[in-house]
Amino acid sequence: MPEEAKVLKIDYEKCTGCRLCELVCSVHHDGVSNPMRSRIKVVKWEADGIYVPMACQQCEDAPCLNACPAKAISRNVEMGRVEVDYAICIGCRTCVSVCPFGAMNFNSIERKVSKCDLCDGDPQCVRFCEVKAVDVVTEGDLSLPKKRQAAEKIVAAGVRSAVLEAESH
Amino acid sequence: MALNRKIGYVDLTTGEVDVQPIPLEARKKYLGGRGLDAYLLYNHTKKGCDPLGPDNVLLISGGLLTATCASATARTHVMAKSPLTGMLGSANMGGFFAPEMAWAGFHHLVIRGKAKKPVYLYVHDGTIEIRDAKHLWGLSTTDTQWAIREELGDEEVKSCVIGQAGENLVRFANVMTGVKNAAGRTGMGCVMGSKNLKAVAARGTMDINIAHPVEALEYNKGFIDQITSAKVNQTQGTLGTPFIWGATNSWGGLRTRNFQLNQLEYADDIEPERLDEIATETIGPHHMTGCFGCQVHCRAQYRIPSGPHAGKYDEGPEYTSQGAFGAEPECRSAETVLTGNHLVDQYGMDNLEVGSLIAWAMELYELGIINKKQTGGLDLRFGNDEALLEMTERIAFRKGWLANALADGGIPASEKIGKNSFDYLIQVKGMSNLHSDERATPALALNIATASRGSDHLRSRPAIDLYHLPEAVLRKIYSSPIPYEGPLSSEHTSYEGKPWQVFWQENCYMAVDCLGICKYHTVFLGATLPNFEDWPKVIYYNTGLEMTPEEIWEAAERCNMLERMFNLREGLARTDLKKGDMLNHRYFDEPCLRGAPGVVGLTIDRKKFKQMVDEFYTHKGLDKTGKPKAATLKRLGLAKEPSHLV
Amino acid sequence: MAVDKRKKSTSESLRNTRTYGKFRCHNPSCMGRLQPEGGQGEVQCPECGMAFRVAWIRPDFPRIRGPVWEVNRKLAEEALKNKEGN
Repeated sequence: MPEEAKVLKIDYEKCTGCRLCELVCSVHHDGVSNPMRSRIKVVKWEADGIYVPMACQQCEDAPCLNACPAKAISRNVEMGRVEVDYAICIGCRTCVSVCPFGAMNFNSIERKVSKCDLCDGDPQCVRFCEVKAVDVVTEGDLSLPKKRQAAEKIVAAGVRSAVLEAESH
Repeated sequence: MALNRKIGYVDLTTGEVDVQPIPLEARKKYLGGRGLDAYLLYNHTKKGCDPLGPDNVLLISGGLLTATCASATARTHVMAKSPLTGMLGSANMGGFFAPEMAWAGFHHLVIRGKAKKPVYLYVHDGTIEIRDAKHLWGLSTTDTQWAIREELGDEEVKSCVIGQAGENLVRFANVMTGVKNAAGRTGMGCVMGSKNLKAVAARGTMDINIAHPVEALEYNKGFIDQITSAKVNQTQGTLGTPFIWGATNSWGGLRTRNFQLNQLEYADDIEPERLDEIATETIGPHHMTGCFGCQVHCRAQYRIPSGPHAGKYDEGPEYTSQGAFGAEPECRSAETVLTGNHLVDQYGMDNLEVGSLIAWAMELYELGIINKKQTGGLDLRFGNDEALLEMTERIAFRKGWLANALADGGIPASEKIGKNSFDYLIQVKGMSNLHSDERATPALALNIATASRGSDHLRSRPAIDLYHLPEAVLRKIYSSPIPYEGPLSSEHTSYEGKPWQVFWQENCYMAVDCLGICKYHTVFLGATLPNFEDWPKVIYYNTGLEMTPEEIWEAAERCNMLERMFNLREGLARTDLKKGDMLNHRYFDEPCLRGAPGVVGLTIDRKKFKQMVDEFYTHKGLDKTGKPKAATLKRLGLAKEPSHLV
Repeated sequence: MAVDKRKKSTSESLRNTRTYGKFRCHNPSCMGRLQPEGGQGEVQCPECGMAFRVAWIRPDFPRIRGPVWEVNRKLAEEALKNKEGN
């Protein structure tokens, strides 16, 4: 059985909004600093201090793959990603318009689309994010931490209601 | 690459815009950021120019490493002749503005003249446009930024702006970006206001080529790890800069009741841990935010928990706001600190100046030097939280006789108030001090007395002097890159070797400000953070520029000398209480009454202080009056200034 | 280029002087190493007698929250009396 694929796990509550992920993404892929080239983007509501890193979800039933008229987008099972074959890509940007997350980018300097390739297994955004707002986990583990978080809240609520119950007597 | 970023010259009177490259020679001599700004200021202003007139230049810049793959290359520097001090005006802020300006193709803006009506600049991919700002005039710092985004239809635009305080020419108004990042000292926002310039907006999508991207990325990983693994930064990343409060208040280093005490007792409600609890209660457990590319994330987020501004979002408060709205006016309520912080952020004023001047006025009021008629009916005694916040608002709008006087800064206000009010004013070169009390720390006293922009902790403070580090460790830090064999002392009350430490830190902080990185990433609050020996690698991998630690040191020394030359041109005189390297008499005459046993009873010794200044001047290559010797100017290549390279 | 990859800089070589789980007394003339027990709320410096309230950044990361006010005040008053007596 093949090794389970790794996926990006984004926990926006932890994001400090520093955008180091954008910087290292563009330096790693293109050798330049330019967030416009970054495959990951921190979307911000600065007036309320909310920051959400957005990147490709490598969808199972990927709209970009389905919509591509040139069939330039395919799934690479081994790498656990959806990827673009630039030899075939015609640069029509259909994938950009259909992606529900805005995760397919258009690079206005090289005039081609670009998306997260998980850095061939060692995502730099994850490597540099010390607060782990962006992390990489195996697909099967994705929901376990969320379950635990939710369970903690239930336990806390249970304790609190028990206290209130005791106090009322 | 970073070296091809440009200088944009803007004349607001004529509307002319000119874009020029930065010659490599200027880069090597002045690096960038604050250093190159100092060169531009010296070259583009004339002696005695009116700080609020069209001939003053406003300089806004990023550093040599801005937006490159170093760490926390987020700093924006702002410089001009100061309307507060009449000397060097210089302020530095974090956030996201300078990187955006660098992606838009610029490292420096030189703005002169005065627009006929309110305008703002839009810097976008190699171009600079002057746009109408009538609709922005009167707005707060944040509302201005959001309105510009809406107008330009681009949420990624970053702006540095002024609030109402800058429009009203409050002489210590800030230039601000984001919710609370402030270039907050020496009134750079007032200069902007005087030019009818409400904002500078930037948006860029231009590549900054990294000279050696693979090495830069790898080196940066280790560099970040060196920075974030320091205990001091882990603490900052949890509590923000208020973390210093606990230590400083324990040993007695907080200037309280203007200058009467050196400790704010029983102030548990504004301790960092309590502020952290409030932030957690109002925002959630992950309530820290950071500047561009920084993993220290020292900025807390909060909503005001109660009072008339309850529910408003802001960031910080920094240690400085704890002092301004806590220690100095002797207030002990978290609500006051958080509200005061919000007001100065929104109006765009220097919290240090506001807190310090109001505390001064409080002492004058209690002494009967000013009366209730002059305060506009306010009972301006220490510990009156409501009066403190009301006076803060009045200063921003220059409302009432006293607020209007204070809005002109300490020295002009003391002239209006008269009597012996000046004797109580805690300032150097016309700029108020931070709420730190330097009577037990000669090194820190020398630092504020000689700092180029006036009483200031971010220009040359050897903060690690308080850590009682073994002499061997001090020796290791302070004898590189330039050998030093003179005395060094682990004892914070000693006068031995302190001038060298101040000289070393002055060059260290200048280098950092030229590179455009943050002081929490160098030897400031932590002894094990990077400095001269680490920077050549960062510079080389990112820009391709080859520099040795000694060359970086020399460039920093040169830039510091230029700042001194500017101050000398504008009237710096060694022992002048208003324009000199001199401290208020209270440092020498009034002993510390609180704090650690070794601190209680201390003052600064006049004779030893004079000796320290002499020694500091010798290290810098100055004569006894504080002027550079001809040999020093020749060694640093400054004999022919102004030389107009740019 | 004069970038020596092997040579450690001063900051890198000083890194192993960092200690976790301890802090220093906040009396800058003392700076004795203090190591509170997990969760301990107050600690007194055996060297100089100053007492501090302890906060915990993480379960393994203590720091001084502030002084124990009564002790701090008493030490300051004694020190002032001694100095004035001299």
